[in-house]
Amino acid sequence: MSVSVRGLFLTRGDFQLKIEGLEFPSGKLTSIVGPNGAGKTTLLMCLGGLLAVPRNRVFVQGRDIASLKDAERARLVASVPQEHNPTFNYSVLDFVVMGRAAHLPLFSLPSGEDVRAAEEALDFVRLRTFALRPYFELSSGERRLILIARALVQRADILLLDEPTTFLDPKHEMEIMELARRLAAERGQTVLLTLHNLDMAVKYSDSMVFMKGGGVFASGRPREVLSDDLLEAVYEVKMRIVDFDGRKLILR
Amino acid sequence: MGLAFALPVAVFIISLNIGSYPISPRTLIKVILSVFSPSSYPDVPAALRDIVFQIRLPRLLLAVAVGASLSVSGASLQALFKNPLVNEYILGISSGSAFGAAVSLVFLGKGFPPQVAAFVFGIAAVIAVLIIARSAGSHIVALLLTGIIVSAFFSALLALVEFFASPYALQALFYWLMGNLSLATWRDLALSVPLMAAGVILLVLLRWRLNVLSMSDQEAKALGVSVRREKVLVIVGCTLATASATAVTGIIGWIGLVVPHLVRMTAGVDNRRVVPLSASLGASFLLAADALTRSLASFEIPLGIFTSLIGIPFFLFLLKRSRRVWL
Repeated sequence: MSVSVRGLFLTRGDFQLKIEGLEFPSGKLTSIVGPNGAGKTTLLMCLGGLLAVPRNRVFVQGRDIASLKDAERARLVASVPQEHNPTFNYSVLDFVVMGRAAHLPLFSLPSGEDVRAAEEALDFVRLRTFALRPYFELSSGERRLILIARALVQRADILLLDEPTTFLDPKHEMEIMELARRLAAERGQTVLLTLHNLDMAVKYSDSMVFMKGGGVFASGRPREVLSDDLLEAVYEVKMRIVDFDGRKLILR
Repeated sequence: MGLAFALPVAVFIISLNIGSYPISPRTLIKVILSVFSPSSYPDVPAALRDIVFQIRLPRLLLAVAVGASLSVSGASLQALFKNPLVNEYILGISSGSAFGAAVSLVFLGKGFPPQVAAFVFGIAAVIAVLIIARSAGSHIVALLLTGIIVSAFFSALLALVEFFASPYALQALFYWLMGNLSLATWRDLALSVPLMAAGVILLVLLRWRLNVLSMSDQEAKALGVSVRREKVLVIVGCTLATASATAVTGIIGWIGLVVPHLVRMTAGVDNRRVVPLSASLGASFLLAADALTRSLASFEIPLGIFTSLIGIPFFLFLLKRSRRVWL
């Protein structure tokens, strides 16, 4: 297991995260779903080392995340933020190359090799031709892809994406989900993402985690764990799952 | 890039000719050569040599160091604060230094150089900002607000010292506050330039890191940057450069805002270019501004007043031209 949680109890204001034990399968795409305020983003931040956690609670590649230095951690796990409003209008390439920070000593500049890594990542998200475009000119869908490319050049095995498809049109939404699947399937990366669109989660995920009230409500392979009762218990709305051409669709 | 570094050299050479006693280029060459072989240039008067080597040369070298220091600090802090409108004095250096200079001039008298106290209190202001902001988690907004608060505090103390000062000490203080290079001596240079150079070199070494630090703190952390540690390192560089510059010249405003903006508008926002180009353009800008203060009027216009007077309309022009919200 490349990511695991053992007894993580955390209080942030009124909110409490309480996870007794949770493991994410390596090389798979796992969606974390649940209502607003369930703790999805908080969990993701703990897994990415962006929120301080006590020792021996969160492990990435078998190592305690609380004992890792920032650069060490960033070489194991990359976090893609949900929102992003930079002040300065860097070029796409300058932006993506920042993902090499964890691999470069403090006083050094990115080398030609680092630039090539950035270009490869742009190839992977199919935006190579955008390298010299200013970041401010990109659409929000393109920005998400560039953020993912930046995380890819970190060369971390674990990739965390916080609501990567929110506010995107169906085409870009599918593009991002396809990309996440390719990362797991082609590169064997462990991809964890939070999601609100259940149909997308069911269609693309190898595994799903349902969260509610700061804890894990259920988890497992989508086809096995999913049921009308589970959805109603988690979201407090009546939903029905129907089979359509061998696919599961969720009706509200 | 290469051309950009020829600019300060050219401005430097032109500036050497300019002053209340203009020296033609031909005479200047003779004066310089006369140092190496006095016997072949017997017609060069010693007074001319003194003007060039004891007055003009240290003054221009100081202009180079101060212009580069203030501009590089401004550019670095703008990246660090993720805000193109902060300047090199945002962490309270100018008001700390002003208070230090005031205390020195008013209570220690003329015999004691105000530079020492100005430097010490400039740094003290930044340390106070860092300590106070630490209790709020050293967030950028906390640093910004604490900078404003500490500046206000030192300004109040400055007013208090001014209230008790004799008219004579007040006059010396006001002259210091206006900012000028005219009193530059080789001794000032020997004491301050190494500190300015250390700060500027540190920031130049960190120039790519500044790109990453200009992302949100959380993003920079996710990218593997030890944000708090590297933030302090940038602040140390800016403080060394700005406090030592301010201590010898007084407060010279607007350079740290205008120069990096001009650089970003012409060369893009990548700090790998912005930082070194700000050094070069900042040096040229202050050399040119100083040459103008020496030649525009029959008296010498205080440099700090002059840079503000040309900096503000210039900045307004940049704002209008850039159109896009912020570069």
